[in-house]
Amino acid sequence: MDFFDYLGNVPEYLRDEWRSYLDLAIDHAQIVVTAILIATVIGVGLGVLTYRRPPAAKVVLTVTGTFLTIPSFALFGLFIPIFGLGSRPAIVALVMYALLPIVRNTITGLRSVDPAVTESAVGMGLSRGQRLARIELPLAWPVVVTGIRVSTQLTVGIAAIAAIVNGPGLGGPIFQGLRATGTQRGFNLAFSGTVSVALLALLFDLLFQVIARLTTSKGLR
Amino acid sequence: MTDASRSPEPMIRLESLTKRYPGQAVPAVDGITLDIPKGEIVVLVGPSGCGKTTVLKMINRLIEPTSGRVLIGGEDVTRADADELRRHIGYVIQQIGLFPHMTVAENVGMVPKLLRWEKQRIAARVDELLELVGLDPAEYRDRYPKELSGGQRQRVGVARALGADPPVMLMDEPFGAIDPITRDRLQNEFLRIQADVRKTIVFVTHDIDEAIKMGDRIAILREQSHIAQYDTPEAILTAPADGFVEDFIGAGAALKRLNLTRVREVPLDHWPAASVHEDRARLRRLLAESEQGSLLLLDEEDRPLRWVTARDLAREREPLHRVGLPATAVVEPHATLHDALDEMVTSTVGCAIVVDRRGRYQGVVDLGTVTSAIDEMRSDVRRRDRAVAEAEAAPGDAVGEVG
Repeated sequence: MDFFDYLGNVPEYLRDEWRSYLDLAIDHAQIVVTAILIATVIGVGLGVLTYRRPPAAKVVLTVTGTFLTIPSFALFGLFIPIFGLGSRPAIVALVMYALLPIVRNTITGLRSVDPAVTESAVGMGLSRGQRLARIELPLAWPVVVTGIRVSTQLTVGIAAIAAIVNGPGLGGPIFQGLRATGTQRGFNLAFSGTVSVALLALLFDLLFQVIARLTTSKGLR
Repeated sequence: MTDASRSPEPMIRLESLTKRYPGQAVPAVDGITLDIPKGEIVVLVGPSGCGKTTVLKMINRLIEPTSGRVLIGGEDVTRADADELRRHIGYVIQQIGLFPHMTVAENVGMVPKLLRWEKQRIAARVDELLELVGLDPAEYRDRYPKELSGGQRQRVGVARALGADPPVMLMDEPFGAIDPITRDRLQNEFLRIQADVRKTIVFVTHDIDEAIKMGDRIAILREQSHIAQYDTPEAILTAPADGFVEDFIGAGAALKRLNLTRVREVPLDHWPAASVHEDRARLRRLLAESEQGSLLLLDEEDRPLRWVTARDLAREREPLHRVGLPATAVVEPHATLHDALDEMVTSTVGCAIVVDRRGRYQGVVDLGTVTSAIDEMRSDVRRRDRAVAEAEAAPGDAVGEVG
C-alpha cells in the first residue's frame, strides 16, 4: 500500500470518528488559549517594564529566546517530576514557548511610538500610567497582536507534543498513530490528527485577523 | 515705543533659571531672568544651540531646572505637581504629535477629559475650538490625523493646546515644518486667534523674520541663553543693542520693518467695485467715473471675483464672470504690509485686495500706501533717536530698560 491508498481510506474513517476529533480539537484549543492568555499577561507586562531599559530588555529577550531553543519533547519530560502529568505541565511549557514573540513585539511596538507623540502627551499632562494606557499601548497594539498571533501558531503545533505528558488535545491520535506506523489504522490516526492541528491553526489565524481589525483604531489602519 | 509705565504685570517670570547637564563644562542655560507680560507673545529667538528650547521646556518642566524659579501668575511652579501644571499650559511643538489613533475631537478634548469635564461640555468646547482654528466641526470632528493635510494638523495641534483654555501657551517652532505659503497663512490666522483669546505665549523660533512677525516682544538669545536684547520688534529693528543683534537681524532691516505694520493699521484705498450681477451699462458708467482703468467685480457675498476693463465689459456675449482677469493678490486685515507688498508685485493691477475674515471686499492697498508707511516709520525712528539723544544729554534721568 502506498500513501494514496492509505489516504483513500481516511474519509470513511473520519465519517465515523469526526466527533472525537472535534472534541480533541476543543481540548487542544483550550490549552492553547489558556497558555496564550497567561503568556500575553506576562509577556506584555515584561515588555512594558523593560522597553525603556535596554539592558533589562536584553536579559528578558535572551531568556525567553533560550526557552524557544529547548526541544519541546525534552521540556515536557522535564516537567513531569515538577507538575506531574496532564494539562498543567503542558500549559507551563506552552507559556514558555509563547513568551518570546509577545515580549519582543511589545518592546518593538512601544519603542516605535513617535517621540513627538510621547512628548506632546507628557506636555499635555498625561501621567505615566495614562500615557501607557491611552497612548503608547493602543499605538503599539497592532504590533503586539501580531506577536500574540505568531505565538498562537507556534503553540498550536507544540501543544500536539503535550500528549507525551498525557496532555489533552490532538497529540493523542498523532502519537498513537506513529506507534502503529505501516498500518491503515496508524495512518488514519496520525493523518487525521495532523490535519486537525493544521486546520485549528488556520482557524486561529483567521480569528486573529478579526481580533486585530476590531481592536485596532481606524486611525492606524 | 516701549512705555515702561504701561508695561502689564508679568504672567510668567523666569528668575535666574539655569540648566546644567552633568558632564558638561558650561551650563546649557545660564541664569536667564525674563518677565513675560500677560496677554503678549514673547518670542525667544537665537542661533541653534543657544538653549531657547531648553528655556521653554523648563517652563512646563519637561526639563527640570538645575536652579532658579519659574513663577506663573505669581506662583512658584518649580515645585508643583508637574502633570497638573502641564494641563494648564498649552503646548505646541513643531512635529505637532497628534495622537494618530484618536479622532480630531478626541485629540482636542484630551486635556478637558483629563480635567474630568462633563462629556457635553467637552463636545461643545471641541466644536468651539475647531471653529476657532477654521475647521468645520461637522466635517473634521471625526476624522483621524492621517486624513488631514499638514496645515490642518497644525490647526488641530493649536486647538488641542487651547483645549482647557489655559492662560499660558508654549510654542516650540510651531510652524517650522510647514511649507512657506501655508506657514504664512497659519501665522496670520494664529495672530487673528490670539487677538481673540489673548493668551500669554512663549514662542521659540530660530527665524528672525518669524520672530518679528509674531512677537509683541522679542528676546534675542546668544549662547547659554544670555539675553542680547529684549524689546519690541520695532525697537530691536531700529536700535539693535550690539553687533550680535545686528548680525542676527541681518540685512534688510528696513524691509523687515514692513512686517511690523498690518494692513488694518493703514488707510485703505477704494477701488471701483461692483457686483457681478450689476447691469453692464451701470458698470461701464462706474468705471468711466473713476480714475482707474479697471473695475473689481464681486460675487453675491461681496467676495472679489475678477478685474475687468472697459474692453472686457464690451464683450457682451461673454458672461461677466468669464471676462477679464481673476482677482488674485488678496490679503486679510491682519496681513503685514510685507505680505501685501509681496502680493502687489504679482498682481496685474499693482495693488493688493483687502478682504475681511469672510472674504468680503474691504478696499485695496497699493504702493503709495506702503511708501507712506515707510516714511512714517522713518520719522518715528528719528523722533525716538532724538529723544534718546536728549536723555543722554541730561544724565540725571536714567532711561528705563525693559527686561
